[in-house]
Amino acid sequence: MMTALMIAIVVLGGSAGDVFITKGMKQVGEISTVHPRKLISIAARVLTNVNFLIGLFFMACSFFAFLAVLSWADLSFVLPATSLSFVITTLGAKFILNEQITRLRLAGTVLVCLGVALISLP
Amino acid sequence: MKTATVLIVAIVAQTMGNVYLTKAMKSVTGGGDVLATAMRAASDPMVWLGTALLIVFFALYSAALSWADLSFVLPATAFGYVLNVAAGHYFLNETVTPARWAGSLVITLGVFLVSRSGARTVTQAASLRSDASEISR
Repeated sequence: MMTALMIAIVVLGGSAGDVFITKGMKQVGEISTVHPRKLISIAARVLTNVNFLIGLFFMACSFFAFLAVLSWADLSFVLPATSLSFVITTLGAKFILNEQITRLRLAGTVLVCLGVALISLP
Repeated sequence: MKTATVLIVAIVAQTMGNVYLTKAMKSVTGGGDVLATAMRAASDPMVWLGTALLIVFFALYSAALSWADLSFVLPATAFGYVLNVAAGHYFLNETVTPARWAGSLVITLGVFLVSRSGARTVTQAASLRSDASEISR
């Protein structure tokens, strides 16, 4: 039960983190310069963007839950379970960020999810 | 093209970062408590190099998200898993099981499909604008 809860935090925390970071980066706007001084001012805007920081916080929660669950569960069980985050994040992108998920993209994402599960089996 | 370049550099940085960190962390284990191990890790330049490369990865990943879809960037960076498996095999002499090579192949196929789906959601207004700018050119 505790393991399931922790894996849920790993997966949902990671997905929420990605969604918030994307929100924040879209607010900052498209980065289309390699000029060092402009990049520094963009970095300052990113690091003070509330959505970006919330995303970072969720990712940190996800990472620490991952470390915690590894202290009692097997990596070969935890890692394939986390491949679910590809599908969950895609759902978040569709329903929260209003991205268009074409059939091609969905098929590719499901394959990636399967492949990651295969790779992380013992 | 911009998306592809940024993501490829990001993935290579991530893989190199993981290889350096694994190499370094394997060499700092053994002897002493957690604190002693942490101190040894913090004084190893290879740990810092690995960490710096992972920061480069995260910066480029975030940069790509400033213009491309999350539902594109996330599965596309999964190609990093394949590079990591290959790097583990060639640089760290890890044994790679047939299931892992099969998984790598499935991921590659998935990333290929995702990469054919275009990096950003095209809203109707945006596509009308780009049509208009093409006509005016």
